[in-house]
Amino acid sequence: MKKLIILLVASLVVVSCNNSGSNKTARNRNVTLSAAGATFPLPFYNLAFKKYAEATGVTVNYGGIGSGGGIKSLRDKVVDFGATDAFLSDEELVTMSEPVVHIPTCIGGVVLAYNLPGITGLKLTPEIIEGIFLGGITKWNDPKIAAVNKDLSLPDLKITVVYRSDGSGTTYIFSDYMTKAGKLWGEKIGTGKSLNWPVGIAAKGNPGVAGTISQSAGTIGYIGYEFAVAQKIPAAAVANSSGSFIEPNLQSLSAAASIDIPADTRVMLTNSSNPQAYPITSFTWIILYKEQAYGNHSQANAEATVRAVKWLTESDAQSIATSVNYAPLPQKAVEQASKVLSVVTFNGTPILR
Amino acid sequence: MENILEDNIRRRALRNRRFKWLVIAGSIVTVTPIFLIVINLIVKGARQINLSFFTETSPDTFQAMTATANGEIIPGGIANGLTGSLIMVLIASALAIPTGLMTGIYLYENKKKRYASFIRSLAEVLQGVPSIILGIIAYIWIVKGLTKGYSALAGSIALSIMMLPIIVRSTEETMSMIPVQIREAAFALGVPYYKMIFRVLIPCSFSGLATGVLLSLSRILGETAPLMLTALGSPVMSLNVAKPSSAVPLLIWDFYNDPNMVNMVWSASLFLMIFVLSLNLLSRSISKKRKYI
Amino acid sequence: MEHQSLDRTSMRGDRVTKSILFSSSLVLLLLSAGMIFTLASGAIPAFRQFGIGFIFSSAWDPTPGKENYGSLAFITGTILTSLLALIICIPMAFSASLFISEFYKGTRLASILRSLVDLLAGVPSIVYGFWGFYTLRPLIMKTGLSDQGFGIFTASLILAIMIVPYATSLSSEIISMVSVEMKEAAYSLGATRREVIFNVVIPSAMSGIVASFILALGRALGETMAVTMLIGNANVIPDGLFSPGNTMASVIANQFGEADGLRMSALIAIGLILFAITALVNAIGKIIIKRFA
Repeated sequence: MKKLIILLVASLVVVSCNNSGSNKTARNRNVTLSAAGATFPLPFYNLAFKKYAEATGVTVNYGGIGSGGGIKSLRDKVVDFGATDAFLSDEELVTMSEPVVHIPTCIGGVVLAYNLPGITGLKLTPEIIEGIFLGGITKWNDPKIAAVNKDLSLPDLKITVVYRSDGSGTTYIFSDYMTKAGKLWGEKIGTGKSLNWPVGIAAKGNPGVAGTISQSAGTIGYIGYEFAVAQKIPAAAVANSSGSFIEPNLQSLSAAASIDIPADTRVMLTNSSNPQAYPITSFTWIILYKEQAYGNHSQANAEATVRAVKWLTESDAQSIATSVNYAPLPQKAVEQASKVLSVVTFNGTPILR
Repeated sequence: MENILEDNIRRRALRNRRFKWLVIAGSIVTVTPIFLIVINLIVKGARQINLSFFTETSPDTFQAMTATANGEIIPGGIANGLTGSLIMVLIASALAIPTGLMTGIYLYENKKKRYASFIRSLAEVLQGVPSIILGIIAYIWIVKGLTKGYSALAGSIALSIMMLPIIVRSTEETMSMIPVQIREAAFALGVPYYKMIFRVLIPCSFSGLATGVLLSLSRILGETAPLMLTALGSPVMSLNVAKPSSAVPLLIWDFYNDPNMVNMVWSASLFLMIFVLSLNLLSRSISKKRKYI
Repeated sequence: MEHQSLDRTSMRGDRVTKSILFSSSLVLLLLSAGMIFTLASGAIPAFRQFGIGFIFSSAWDPTPGKENYGSLAFITGTILTSLLALIICIPMAFSASLFISEFYKGTRLASILRSLVDLLAGVPSIVYGFWGFYTLRPLIMKTGLSDQGFGIFTASLILAIMIVPYATSLSSEIISMVSVEMKEAAYSLGATRREVIFNVVIPSAMSGIVASFILALGRALGETMAVTMLIGNANVIPDGLFSPGNTMASVIANQFGEADGLRMSALIAIGLILFAITALVNAIGKIIIKRFA
């Protein structure tokens, strides 16, 4: 028994020494940051922070506990920064004890994924989507759907709607778009992270919805773009504000952000005015306190935080994003982000000079 | 007369046989799921397990994406989860096992008191508390209160609260099975109380105690929800308990949520199962060596 | 003189041991009190807003501006799934424990079965969730009972599989302890094995068997991850065995991450109610045991 314990401890030490070389964690006097928030950008952040650690030795522990969790953690001051798919509303900003700034890091798209055996290239308009999710359109060969998909032979199959059971930024983005682009959506369902859906079944998480759709024919649901790509689920082209049917891809997602962005970057990109934009897109933001000297937040941590977040908006991290199917920030957004970061201070002095 | 007797015996013998087959059928149905699950895990997950699975930290989505596109196994491993889980389980055990043992012994020694039955009921109720609630509690007490940040310590405390009631109940029930004579004999020999506990009670009930500890370990090794709110997760192996830490179930959750890493889910789960099985076998062999009764 | 001082020392030592044991029981007490206090303070806003009606309301509307929450839908879901799981579990656990402790007692076959059942306890709940989602659900869809596979029945099925080891291990221990003399007496009167089981073994082991089922039920009440993946997460009172519904533990796990303000308070209130229901179930179980013992 004793031998077993000694063996275990010894292997622990050996393995951690082996890895500290490549991660620079054991030896550095550097900082470890913790962050929490949205699951949508989790794969991108994990990859980006890994590269960041290799380059600078600063480790970032990011936990994908959900946008709400990120906001709560920042409010409770137990993380260095949070991440959220939906920017804080004015009411929410009031609940944070001190001013909070938003920095967009990449752009994500919500796609309508479907399972129709043998059919790809489905086109949908906001009216059709509204009809499906509100229960008005119940069959795939409904004339309204057929009208915009004349080249497809739609089956006489019941439509099964799949939505998210857990509170989610993806739901928020989708419902925000539908409230803007639909006619009845606003009063029947509304915008939010958790909604009362009149029809359909619930699944947990993007993987739950994606899995449910892949397993059953006739289903349609909303998932993150990178999920549809990774699991090869067909996604519909959606008619945007200019009337063109746009397929979701990295270009059409980034195009949604080529509009005027307010100084605090709090804007929903859904139903973008850009004619080449895919209409169901959004920034994902990092949130942190404007004044970084709070509680036991050290100067070293504050500087590391701001530098890490800045790095995320720059070209190295942005090309990492593209490589894993997250849409990069257009130039205007990068400039806005930089301006926002330049006002973050420690004891009144801006951190970035 | 004899015919009636024979009929009666035949009927009863038939019912007896039928019942036996019913029991066997029921037992087969009971263990079928475990076969299905294990086979499922092996088929989907065995590919990924090699030496680097244990020594390397979790892969990122790009590596996973390229590997799956090329049909290769995903590089990287779960080393950060292993160290995190190990540290948190060790701390949780160090907290829960002594406390649980002593409380169980207290309950056994004071069966008749009303206070004792109250504590016993508390333990039973505590056992049914969903792990997420314990996570919320540990978040409020430790993450917000003590370490002012996500930490492995908070995770350990949430886990130890989960272990406690199982150890308490199994200790008490096991000790109740020791013949009273052994305990009385020790007292009659003038053995001091504490020695009686350590040299008589505990060794005699060792197999039951080990089962209880094992059951509680199995319970916490696979828990995700409380760790999400306490240990948060980390890409590196860290020995600092005041900082966030990874854990195997947290990694499983990360893999599940990453569109490219679903395959790792099965391998990590397979590993967890094999680990628990080995714990099982280990405890079984230890108790065989120490059978005093 | 020596004799007296020895007495005093050993008595003091014994008193110290006794007080150490007593203080360890205090840990459980303080822990539970702390938890109830923390939960209660978090739940107060919800109760202040909705009053006692919160327990009986089946509303769940998170739309900002017209928020209305009630816990009835989840209480129903929890009770339905747990009871159904127990009902499904009883024949399985009974067969398995009789197999292990009666029919094949002491044989290799029995210990293999016991290890297999223990393995079931070792599967992490998240793995049950995945297996249920990717394997069980399509199976249920194939049988045509439910077109999407989500629902009360699927969740109860997976719960039943999860709680079988808890019921089986304790039951088989108790059954194996039934006095051999009583059984031999029955056999010598000409009883068949089945008759011995139903007329001797089960009655004398009844209180332990019921205790094991209460333990299993407690586990089912608090299970989160596996249920949340299979129950369909419809925040309404289910209108059929195969309709989706939701349980208390599952809704907390699902919505806690994004909840704030009043909704958070409602979720914590649900946690408190779950605490109370678990205590109630345990109390009922005790009464049942007393009646049979």
